[in-house]
Amino acid sequence: MCVLCTGAILQVHWTDKSTGAGIPDGDQLRLYRRERLHRASLANKILCHYGLKVEEWNGSKYLLSDRKGRQEIIDDLGGLWPAAEKLAGYTLNPLDTVLIAKLKQDVC
Amino acid sequence: MSAKHKLPVTIVTGFLGSGKTTLLQHALRQQGMQDTAVLVNEFGMVGLDHHLLQMVEESTILLGGGCVCCSTRDDLVQALTQLLNRVQKGERDVSKVVIETTGLADPAPIVFTVLSHPVLQHHFHIQNVIVTVDAVNGLFHLRRQPESVKQALVADKFIITKTDLAPGEEVKQLLRELQVINPSAGRHTAVHGVIDAALLFSPAVTIRQRAADPAPVFQEKGTHVQDVNSVSITFREPLDWTAFGLWLSMLLHAKGEDIMRVKGLLDIGGAGPVILNGVQHIIHPPNHLEAWPSEERVSTLVFIMRSVSPEEILTSLEAFQKAFDVKHNMPEMEILQ
Repeated sequence: MCVLCTGAILQVHWTDKSTGAGIPDGDQLRLYRRERLHRASLANKILCHYGLKVEEWNGSKYLLSDRKGRQEIIDDLGGLWPAAEKLAGYTLNPLDTVLIAKLKQDVC
Repeated sequence: MSAKHKLPVTIVTGFLGSGKTTLLQHALRQQGMQDTAVLVNEFGMVGLDHHLLQMVEESTILLGGGCVCCSTRDDLVQALTQLLNRVQKGERDVSKVVIETTGLADPAPIVFTVLSHPVLQHHFHIQNVIVTVDAVNGLFHLRRQPESVKQALVADKFIITKTDLAPGEEVKQLLRELQVINPSAGRHTAVHGVIDAALLFSPAVTIRQRAADPAPVFQEKGTHVQDVNSVSITFREPLDWTAFGLWLSMLLHAKGEDIMRVKGLLDIGGAGPVILNGVQHIIHPPNHLEAWPSEERVSTLVFIMRSVSPEEILTSLEAFQKAFDVKHNMPEMEILQ
């Protein structure tokens, strides 16, 4: 439960393997933060092809936005793809040949 | 809460008449099985299975309303929470739970229910999905009944029953076909339901059965089962979990319906590997092992999918690895079938 937004986290997404629920403290916090920033930067390498961008927010959420300024708050990768689908207007398919071609050319 | 404190749940499924109940009857009579709670999914006639499972009568809860599929998942939730209540009140000593589904049930929603329910996910974990396959009619079911194929795809362990009644050649053919559908599951045989309970209830470790029988997996035209492909992908270097998680979660979001199964032993740089196990959209919480089972530290992933070609998966994974700047660690693919 987040005390600020009263958002209950019922499900830990499988990609958040070791962290589990909640934000760790001490030395672990650095690693935790770093991992989240790393994840956001990697995700952006894909999302930029759809005109989307994700930012890490305060160690607890991610903020997904498009170029029109629309934003979605997400908890984890489980929420990222549905939210991205909503903003983009279609399903983001990793098998899409157009996306793969763009990734290869590194157009972003 | 770590998996150690959760009650292991074993799902026993298999097509109608494939010997699920017989198997359980025998297994539950064995040593060390007294504290097993059995949930039986009733279908049709008056609690027949319930009577057969008298041995565990007290902890048997009948699930009303047919299948444990999406429609009546609530029943399962209710049954499991009820069981949990009794365990925590100290009324019962339960060390494991067995859910026997109907012959037509799709096991995926059960896995989903246990893994996603806000309470149940902290108290239960899915240990095994055992699928019984009838040696006499199994091939016929696999070819005619999509439910049967679905069950086979979800399996962690196959138990081939009635091998005494079927000609040896037919059994071999069935084994080959199962290998084609789901190369990641272990295969065992049971005659008259006799099998070592320890084998049934031990966690499945098989990630990939390298064709144990040296006979090449040959493909006859008629045996191709409903457009199912399976592929094994290996990585020589440790994987970046974050990068890999991004790709897989995106893939499952877009194509979860078609990716029937993901199973893998991944090297993510820690002391031991991570076991990844997924059924369609649902990924089990990854399990960290303390150490590698063998000397070789190679990440292996098995995908079983329908109407997605192996090449698409590989091309996509390669492109993502490249985009994520992990070019030194390109996937190698082997098409299992």
